[in-house]
Amino acid sequence: MENIVSVGFDLASFSAIMVLMVTGLGVIASMMGVFNFAHGEFLLLGAYTVYLTHSHGYPVWAGMVAAPFAVALVGLALERGVIRFFYAEPVVAMLGTYAIGLVIRESVRGLIGGLYHSVPDPLIGSFTVGSVQLSRWRCVIILVAAVVLVGFWSLLTRTGLGLTIRAALENPALARASGISTNRVYALTFAVGAGLAGLAGGLMVPIFSMFADLGVRFLIQGFLAVLLGGIGSFEGPALGAAVVGVLSAGLPWVLSPVLADVLVFVIAIVIVKFRPAGLLSTERS
Amino acid sequence: MHREPDLAPSTTSLTRRSLLTGAAWAAGAVALGRGSFVVPPAWGQSNPIKVGIATDLTGPIGFAGKANANVATMVTNDINAKGGVLGRSLQLFIEDTASNESVAVNNVRKLIQRDRVDVVFGGITSSMRNAIKDVIVTRGRTLYIYPQLYEGQECTPYIFCTGPTPAQQCDEFIPWLIKNGGKRFALPSANYVWPKLLNQYARKVIQANGGEVVFEEYYPLDQVEYSATVNKIMTNNVNVVFNTVIPPGVGPFIKQLYEAGFTKRGGRLSCVYYDENTLNINAAHEFEGLASCLDYFRTINDPFSAKLQADYDKLYPGTVLFTAGSAATGMYRGLKLWETAVNRAKKVDRESVATALDRARIEQGPGGPAEMVPGKRHCKMNMYIAVAKNGNYEVVTQSKGLVDPKEC
Repeated sequence: MENIVSVGFDLASFSAIMVLMVTGLGVIASMMGVFNFAHGEFLLLGAYTVYLTHSHGYPVWAGMVAAPFAVALVGLALERGVIRFFYAEPVVAMLGTYAIGLVIRESVRGLIGGLYHSVPDPLIGSFTVGSVQLSRWRCVIILVAAVVLVGFWSLLTRTGLGLTIRAALENPALARASGISTNRVYALTFAVGAGLAGLAGGLMVPIFSMFADLGVRFLIQGFLAVLLGGIGSFEGPALGAAVVGVLSAGLPWVLSPVLADVLVFVIAIVIVKFRPAGLLSTERS
Repeated sequence: MHREPDLAPSTTSLTRRSLLTGAAWAAGAVALGRGSFVVPPAWGQSNPIKVGIATDLTGPIGFAGKANANVATMVTNDINAKGGVLGRSLQLFIEDTASNESVAVNNVRKLIQRDRVDVVFGGITSSMRNAIKDVIVTRGRTLYIYPQLYEGQECTPYIFCTGPTPAQQCDEFIPWLIKNGGKRFALPSANYVWPKLLNQYARKVIQANGGEVVFEEYYPLDQVEYSATVNKIMTNNVNVVFNTVIPPGVGPFIKQLYEAGFTKRGGRLSCVYYDENTLNINAAHEFEGLASCLDYFRTINDPFSAKLQADYDKLYPGTVLFTAGSAATGMYRGLKLWETAVNRAKKVDRESVATALDRARIEQGPGGPAEMVPGKRHCKMNMYIAVAKNGNYEVVTQSKGLVDPKEC
């Protein structure tokens, strides 16, 4: 029983991190048809914002509040300055985002001296449930992920802005004809996606510590999650992220970890083979 | 000796070919400068001894490579200020191995073929050593000195190792861990050659001292989630975690271990590559009590080491630290041992220097004296056990005399 609680908690907390990371990636991929290879570095920038506020003596939570806005601004600037010129050529756009990511990563590496730096949790310690220790900060991350999911889902399905965004996504030409500025919607979407990555990075830096390659591993697993969940919806990638999170944190409990790492990808590819349009495809079509 | 390009023929008029050759030479000389293959670096200097450094100045382990380059610069400047070696000055050629083996092989080839260095120091990871050693030793016929702590078993002729081996890091450390932790060991490890061979040796020492290995497990190098491992450690009543998980995984691993209450219940965490560079990966309370065993710590009590550390910090203030885990101490030791060997051999050719280096000894270095074990091409040195306390290391024991590397 205790074991089940602790396994369940660990799976939930890692999945929550994956969901936060992938939501932004999925939003951008779904809305704009561009796979953002700089997404891992947006995550890194969120983490760096928190690290920077902390090293200047401000409280860590202040950095976490600032991170999504700071990264959203960077995202907005990049979308306006670079990415919007490439919507017609998705492959070029992807290479462009890859280059942007590389520049960000290597700049951060220079700024932090290529070293690892710890950033303290705003909430230190753990709850004791029975004889199981549950990290307080991981509990917060699970809660935040839930709030973000519910918040965005309501925004997209229950508000006028959500309707505009979905219209610009499904039929850009008609949306423009109806007086919706798709340019503005795209810029907004990209900024929001970047902001979500910033939030995820800010929240997870106390767990994984600050280092330049923080985003790389999450980016690859994030792509897998988006493929698994399917492009074109908000809930698809989130579900895909949860699946990838559970698989990659759960398989090492029963298998050799090196094998588990490979198996996550194998399982995901098999699922994609049988459901090429994503896990939720039948509901939506 | 500046040679004029052959532009002014005596009898025949200027041909197009000679003009083009000359112009190409001049352009090359201007573009590449001294030290390139166009203009030999020796011009303008009286035949210096050429010392090649191949280290990871950039990429993920750039922090360590920069420290190695700093130490090499500091030591050669010092030697040159005191008159050089055999009356000749040392000239440094530093090439970036960029934490990338394929880039490295090309750059090291430049050291060998273009600069024709007399000796190469460098390489930090074992994969890097394996990638460049053939270029240096076999095809390059040059002496190679490898400075990093490593898994042992590098017995290629003309490669000398000046960092600690598994025997040096385990023989005294593991009995200490059993005494100050317990008998049940877990060996969580990153999946590559260093942890595998180190664990092989550590397992023997653990069993010889009456301990047991509860589990030995390997993880992908970039794994950052360790809940399954931590759970295994907690439920199997492990006393000592002998960790060879490397960054980026090591930070989250130690944190999860702390949050699960491993140290609170008396568990002992240990990690033999932990030095001053890794102190910032976790918050101080998370790795309180972590034990490490290296050839040097900043807090050891040795006047020469303290002076060396102070000199380094004065020359290179900032984040690139002089530490044992980043091969900086091995680099110092290697350079000084080589200097002694060249002085004794009175020549710089590979054969004579290797023969002299085989028995070289230095009286002073980081952590104390060091000497080569004849015929083994590995180095005896002092070893220290240190325990993390409030985010710093407290040295708890020093080896009695120089520890044998037990290699080759």
